[in-house]
Amino acid sequence: MTEFEDKLLDIISKVLLLDKDEITDDLRRKDFEPWDSMAHLILVSEIESEFDMFFEDEEVVELWTVGDIKRVLASKLSS
Amino acid sequence: MTDTAQEVEKILQPVRENPNYLNLWSAYKKIQALDLPLLENKDTLSIAVIGSSTLEPLAACLEIKIRLEGFQTRTFVGGFNTYRQEALDKNSLLYKSNPDVIVLSVDAASVLDKMFISDYVRKTEDERKSLQDDLVSSVVAVIQTLKNNTSAIILVNNFLVPVFSPLGIVDNKQKLGLKLFFEGANENLVDTFRESSQVFIVDLESISGDFGKSRTINWNTWYRGSVPFSEEFTLILADEYLRYIRALKGRAKKCIVLDLDNTLWGGIIGEDGLEGIKLSNVSPGIEYVDFQRGLLSLYNRGVILAVCSKNNYDDAIKVFQEHPYQVLKEKHFAAMRINWQNKAASIAELAEEINIGLDSMVFFDDNPVERAQVSLAHPEVLVVELPKNPRLYRETLEHLTVFDVLSLTKEDLVRGEMYAGKRKRAELEKSAESIEDFLRTLDLKVKIQPVNDFDTPRVVQLIGKTNQFNLTTRRYTDAEVRQFREDKSAIVYSMAVTDKFGDEGVVGVSIIKMKGTDWWIDSLLMSCRVIGRSVETALLAKIASDARAAKAKKLIGEYIPTKKNPPAADLYERHGFTMSSETENNGTIWELNIDTDTVEIPDWIDLQEE
Repeated sequence: MTEFEDKLLDIISKVLLLDKDEITDDLRRKDFEPWDSMAHLILVSEIESEFDMFFEDEEVVELWTVGDIKRVLASKLSS
Repeated sequence: MTDTAQEVEKILQPVRENPNYLNLWSAYKKIQALDLPLLENKDTLSIAVIGSSTLEPLAACLEIKIRLEGFQTRTFVGGFNTYRQEALDKNSLLYKSNPDVIVLSVDAASVLDKMFISDYVRKTEDERKSLQDDLVSSVVAVIQTLKNNTSAIILVNNFLVPVFSPLGIVDNKQKLGLKLFFEGANENLVDTFRESSQVFIVDLESISGDFGKSRTINWNTWYRGSVPFSEEFTLILADEYLRYIRALKGRAKKCIVLDLDNTLWGGIIGEDGLEGIKLSNVSPGIEYVDFQRGLLSLYNRGVILAVCSKNNYDDAIKVFQEHPYQVLKEKHFAAMRINWQNKAASIAELAEEINIGLDSMVFFDDNPVERAQVSLAHPEVLVVELPKNPRLYRETLEHLTVFDVLSLTKEDLVRGEMYAGKRKRAELEKSAESIEDFLRTLDLKVKIQPVNDFDTPRVVQLIGKTNQFNLTTRRYTDAEVRQFREDKSAIVYSMAVTDKFGDEGVVGVSIIKMKGTDWWIDSLLMSCRVIGRSVETALLAKIASDARAAKAKKLIGEYIPTKKNPPAADLYERHGFTMSSETENNGTIWELNIDTDTVEIPDWIDLQEE
């Protein structure tokens, strides 16, 4: 696991109250009750401050799964 | 520890290691998921956070910080901008949560017109004034409603003064510029509740200034979710509320224990001598003078000072007596240990001599080895991580927000002088033949009466902070005490004590609840300053005699043991009560039949009538 992935999983595990090894890429916001709008808000802002970047409003809405978060984040950090 | 307590502790562990926002939030959600029942005891606290924006993050940080202080807590978070309904509806979830503390956070923008900032420049002075009045009265009305409907302590954020004004650098050339609009509103809030012992205006504006105003709000979370404060600032604000909660729950520190060499002055008196130590009106040396001035300011409002130093007594005391720049004198210290024994032992002795708990003490020492040793021996003492640089000593002292009280009484202001009297009393006691002889020479005068308006704040303060001589350790708020005073079947007694060394003021409280011909002593407590002067006997005697006059049959007392209150354990036994039953948590119930038994006032006490 890269350092980047580890930091991300740390945030997700703390906000969604999951162990790191329980987090899969297809974990979906709509299907997982603790991932409510407040959790989403905190998840997004914690990722922003950890990686010193910023999500557009459209991107925030489109983050449906853990896989989405990884993909969008990777593309932002590489650009 | 019970299973749930262990589970909670496990959740709190990462927060203890790294108390950042994410860890606090995570712990809050995990504890919420446990769905714990709230056990009612004195270490339980119910809080409510209501206001005009998304306040769950603030409530979360506050709850976890309260838990880190060792309390159990339950949190109610109000809906988005529904605080008025929650306050007005007597059946709202807010009141059902039975809060001990309510935090009210209202953004001015949520009350003011949407075009307020845009149109402000074009408003006349009268229009501005009237908008300001509307803003203040809108919040005041909510506070008054809360006040009428609960006995909770109400913490109200004042308004943030904007940094930007369309009037630019001439904002304050106008009679009511934009900044003055908010500053004036804040002043009006403070004025409205100056006399209240239930409502406290939290100075959000100045805390935000200290933290950095431009970092107070995270505009991303504000626009995405109406979260009013940035992550880092949320922690700072929660800390500010904690000051009130510590004061409310009797957790305030009372005494500062000071090392001397390289703490009160620079250098080592035993080696550098009176002329060689750094203590001066210029640098180097003024840093220590300023630190001492800060200490003196705390002394003057009731914080007790003591010395704990490894030194030759004669060398060290000379600085207090002869150094021209020494600010603190011998008379400012309630007790001193200047010798070569280890500091953990000295601090234990100081606690005993001053008669306060170790957990009321704060220790300042430049030497990390001494600090570590004291920490290890007495984990309950707050050992300050003093920076190496003495120029930061004063700032370190000023950032210690652990001495707060919810009201300052006249007893606070003269506490130092009272401890000077205590030292003289102790000298007399040593020379007296017997304890009775000693007490006879004191000319003790005791005044016991149903508490009046003037002494009520002091009575509330004693109820909030007395730990040792406290039979039941029930904490009541100002509003609750006022209710008891109005209740025909309850009496709140205050006891004031004077002797030839000084006036101690109000130092004792008892709350009686009458049930038929039984008089229940719901609370009985006494400041540790007067322990050993038998004035508790006078208090019981007065209660017994009033009960008899009211045709009561039985006086019933209760003792609920805590870690701190063994000094009060044998009170009822000593005064002829018999134990009638045991309660849970090793408590005991004691009875005195007042038809047949009585409590005599000691002949050395002059009980003064109203």
